[in-house]
Amino acid sequence: MPSPGKIVGAVVTAPLQYMGQLVDPLLRRWQSWTGLNGMAAFFLAPNMLIFGVFVLIPMGMNIVYSMTSGNALFLKDREFVGGTHYKTLLDCQNYFDPQSCHQDLFWIAAGNTFQFVICQVALMIVVCMITALILNSEIRARSFWRAVFFFPVLLSPVVVGLIWKWILQRDGVLNAVLLDMGLEPINWLIERGWAFFAAITVSVWAHMGFYALILLAGLQAIPKDLYEAAEMDGTRHMRVFWRITLPLLMPNLLVVLVLSLIRAVQIFDEAFVLTGGGPGTATMFLTQYIYEVGFASILKNPGLAAAASILMGGVLIVLTLLQLGLTGRKDRAR
Amino acid sequence: MSGLTALLSQTRGRDGWDWTDYFTFFWLGAGLLVMFGPAIWLVLSSLKTPAGLSEFPPTFLPYKAETIQVDGYDKPLPLYRVTTEEGVRDLAELRRVGTVAQMIDPEQPDERLRVNIADRTPIRKVGFAWENFIDPLFNSNFPTYLKNSVFVTVMATLITLLTNSMAAFALSKYQFTGRNTVMILILATLMVPLSVILVPLFSIISSVGLFDTLWGVILPTVATPTGVFMLRQYMLTIPDELLEAARMDHASEWQIYWRIVLPLTAPALAVLAIFSVVWRWNDFLWPLVVLSREEVYTLQVGLNAYAGELNVQWHFLLAMTVVTMVPVVLVFVFLQKFITTGIAGAGLK
Amino acid sequence: MGQITLKDIRKSFGPVDVLKGIDLEIEQGEFLVFVGPSGCGKSTLLRMIAGLDKPTSGTVEINDVDVTQVSAADRGLAMVFQSYALYPHMTVRQNLAFGLQNTKMPKAEIDRRIADASTMLEIDGLLSRRPGQLSGGQRQRVAIGRAIVRDPTAFLLDEPLSNLDAELRVSMRAELSALHDRIKTTMIYVTHDQVEAMTMADRIVVLRGGHIEQVATPLDLFNKPANLFVAGFIGAPAMNLFSGSLENGQFLCDGRVLGTALRLQDGPGTLGIRPQHLILADGGALSGKIALVESLGIETVLHVDLSEGGNLIAVLPGQAAVKAGDQVAFDIPRDKRHLFDGQGQRVPV
Ligand SMILES: Nc1ncnc2c1ncn2[C@@H]1O[C@H](COP(=O)(O)OP(=O)(O)OP(=O)(O)O)[C@@H](O)[C@H]1O
Ligand SMILES: [Mg+2]
Repeated sequence: MPSPGKIVGAVVTAPLQYMGQLVDPLLRRWQSWTGLNGMAAFFLAPNMLIFGVFVLIPMGMNIVYSMTSGNALFLKDREFVGGTHYKTLLDCQNYFDPQSCHQDLFWIAAGNTFQFVICQVALMIVVCMITALILNSEIRARSFWRAVFFFPVLLSPVVVGLIWKWILQRDGVLNAVLLDMGLEPINWLIERGWAFFAAITVSVWAHMGFYALILLAGLQAIPKDLYEAAEMDGTRHMRVFWRITLPLLMPNLLVVLVLSLIRAVQIFDEAFVLTGGGPGTATMFLTQYIYEVGFASILKNPGLAAAASILMGGVLIVLTLLQLGLTGRKDRAR
Repeated sequence: MSGLTALLSQTRGRDGWDWTDYFTFFWLGAGLLVMFGPAIWLVLSSLKTPAGLSEFPPTFLPYKAETIQVDGYDKPLPLYRVTTEEGVRDLAELRRVGTVAQMIDPEQPDERLRVNIADRTPIRKVGFAWENFIDPLFNSNFPTYLKNSVFVTVMATLITLLTNSMAAFALSKYQFTGRNTVMILILATLMVPLSVILVPLFSIISSVGLFDTLWGVILPTVATPTGVFMLRQYMLTIPDELLEAARMDHASEWQIYWRIVLPLTAPALAVLAIFSVVWRWNDFLWPLVVLSREEVYTLQVGLNAYAGELNVQWHFLLAMTVVTMVPVVLVFVFLQKFITTGIAGAGLK
Repeated sequence: MGQITLKDIRKSFGPVDVLKGIDLEIEQGEFLVFVGPSGCGKSTLLRMIAGLDKPTSGTVEINDVDVTQVSAADRGLAMVFQSYALYPHMTVRQNLAFGLQNTKMPKAEIDRRIADASTMLEIDGLLSRRPGQLSGGQRQRVAIGRAIVRDPTAFLLDEPLSNLDAELRVSMRAELSALHDRIKTTMIYVTHDQVEAMTMADRIVVLRGGHIEQVATPLDLFNKPANLFVAGFIGAPAMNLFSGSLENGQFLCDGRVLGTALRLQDGPGTLGIRPQHLILADGGALSGKIALVESLGIETVLHVDLSEGGNLIAVLPGQAAVKAGDQVAFDIPRDKRHLFDGQGQRVPV
């Protein structure tokens, strides 16, 4: 009697095998014609074609876009203006005061993003570190707890945004709890400061499980005997943390730092659903600026959006190189 | 409760509790509340009637008003507990004008009473408003969104698996000039997010006629560098001798890929499939840009549109949010091991 | 038919010349063994014959047809790999059938061949298992079975026994020889184990550094090694070699006269004598003190420090009554000595 797994396997693989047989004669001819190199080209082609058309070419085109102006979508209808868009974007009397800039919205978005990145990453690292340490200690049902902290990672940003919008609205459950405790209700999504705070907290909530997992993997790779040796010496908890755990966790911590930086710079979905960039422009971030200028707003200006996205891409490339360098150093250290 | 205490507590093999133990206890407890609480609150809320949702402070469980069928009236009437001079009575409401309601006693349906609404409270019992889930299925675009999302997710995942594994096969098992260039290209774009190439990508999609189509959503996402990279790493561990044995066995290169390498890569393919399903199901920014007609909206875009309406119908919106969440939660519950080891191993998301 | 001819085969990997001109005639039905130290190019040569790699120059002919540019699958050869290279995801039956199915053989014929081969190799009970569920020896048989069902022009085996334990190796050796006697197909067998080579081969090819040093039957190789390398490589313990010079028909080494009445030209040379051929004799040409005695029961191995410097290994039959520290002397029988000239080539005595 074959097991159910086997039956399912057969049901899945039989048609697949048949499909493979179907194209084989054709590909055999191609192979006898072009040899192994031709086959390598054949295997690479679909992915590289899609990759080229939808990633590489747009990357190149983006630069051209950023130097053309007008409302037209296709490049041939657009007028070449050189670095004008960059000049417009960077045209500021005082870089610390968005109001003094020609494109004040861009600078507001950039400033918001900067503040967001700093606060979110700092909070993220602290929260993930504590969580990973606790998940790595001798607790019961560790995989259950890991699941608890990880589960929001898989939720879609729209769902995350809606869940929290529902909780944080004026008549939401959080205010009910505050009232119950005898506190004043807060207009979470209407007051500037609180809305910004909400955007940060919600994005930490949504992504912390991912980074905590990376840190946890790092913690679990630290040999147990180091801790035992420290215990034999009577070293205190805090000292063990600073002198053993932290240095050995450094590679993973750096990965988490850079990855979370890269992702925080691109913040869009959750915040957009949660606050829509508001109140006013309090939670307008760079990606939303690009989206609005490129597609949504009445001031539609694809060239300007492209220029802004290239500036953001520059920041991301620096961060990515940083990451590659750091992980490369980690690999070499092994 | 002692079970939970045991679950939460940790012992360091010493007598008494250290501050770290208290802190662990606190953190895990708070974590449980903060991480799971919102989702549970969402599910509970999605089962409330519009009246229940507009209540403040909200009730924890969903309630429904008790109704009663009275002879001579077609519809069931809502029941209220009314405090009168004679005492407390349960009455059914006929209609309400201003602050005064016309009510009848179900026992004596002929006698009509006028009651000030301040003197009465609705009689309620725990009840689930399943209609929040059922109604949108019949009189909204929600089923279309659902269908679109399923289509995008399934198609994108299948194409991703096929094209990525073919490319990974070429990059791991053939020596050809330019192989390193291709690898570097793929690695270099590993971190280029969609938001950076939004404008030109949109123009390409438009110029090939894919604007406002589901294929326009699918195609730009399938050539994932992460997938190629992950599968290649896995395929490198398959010994070349196996391929040579197959070559001696008259297998064509395609057969080697399809019959030998793909089946042996199954574990990595499974991880990629899980990730791809989650990614594509959750995609938001790109579909938001490409799709403008309601008929082609995916769930995420549809939800956002509903949430942006002037009069948000929270009871439908919450129910649909739950439906959107369900597949991902199922994936998570059944495949948690795969996902967590996949992330810990490859650091991908 | 299964006659293979190699003409001036050369192979370089980039700047490294691995094969430096191999000429070889392999007879129909022959059991030919390649031996040589690790890295000498045995596997590379076998892969050239198989068609898995193309030679840099030179030709491979099978049955007088030039197949140098023919792909591995179309050469009609079968290969047994050192790691067996069984398809892990297929059952034994599928492993055996895969190559046959690829040639579009009728199912009945496939079944017949699998039945024949599995009975011959006694693996008929294992047909529905996967390679992972087999022992090393069983896997070995399946790997051979996969070659047999193809009914190839010739078998190519690359160290097929090196992954087995010593005991199994001996019995598989015998089985392989028996198999060859039965099916009488050409077999080309790579090993670095000289016992395997000596016991199984019809002819042995000794390779070193990409050259053929000698091709001969096992006994010829033992009795008449063509040069110093073969002399030292074949036979265990290795032949004792004394370098010295020929003067007036006498071989001199460190002032001793080790051979007389040699009708040879004067000049530098080397004299060799196998440890088994030394005869214990008072007043023999080679005398010294025993440093170590290894009593193996059936024979006794003596390590001797010679009085004039240098050392020597002797193997005496049975259990010799000697102990470490004893003074001994050996005679060199006239018909057992080997002489090599200044270039290390054998010269007839
Ligand atoms: N693909 C390759 N690229 C570069 N050098 C190679 C390659 N394959 C083999 N070589 C080199 O060719 C030489 C011969 O290798 P080969 O595998 O034929 O040795 P071998 O005689 O089979 O040794 P062993 O007994 O260890 O199996 C080695 O020095 C090896 O490093
Ligand atoms: Mg070898």
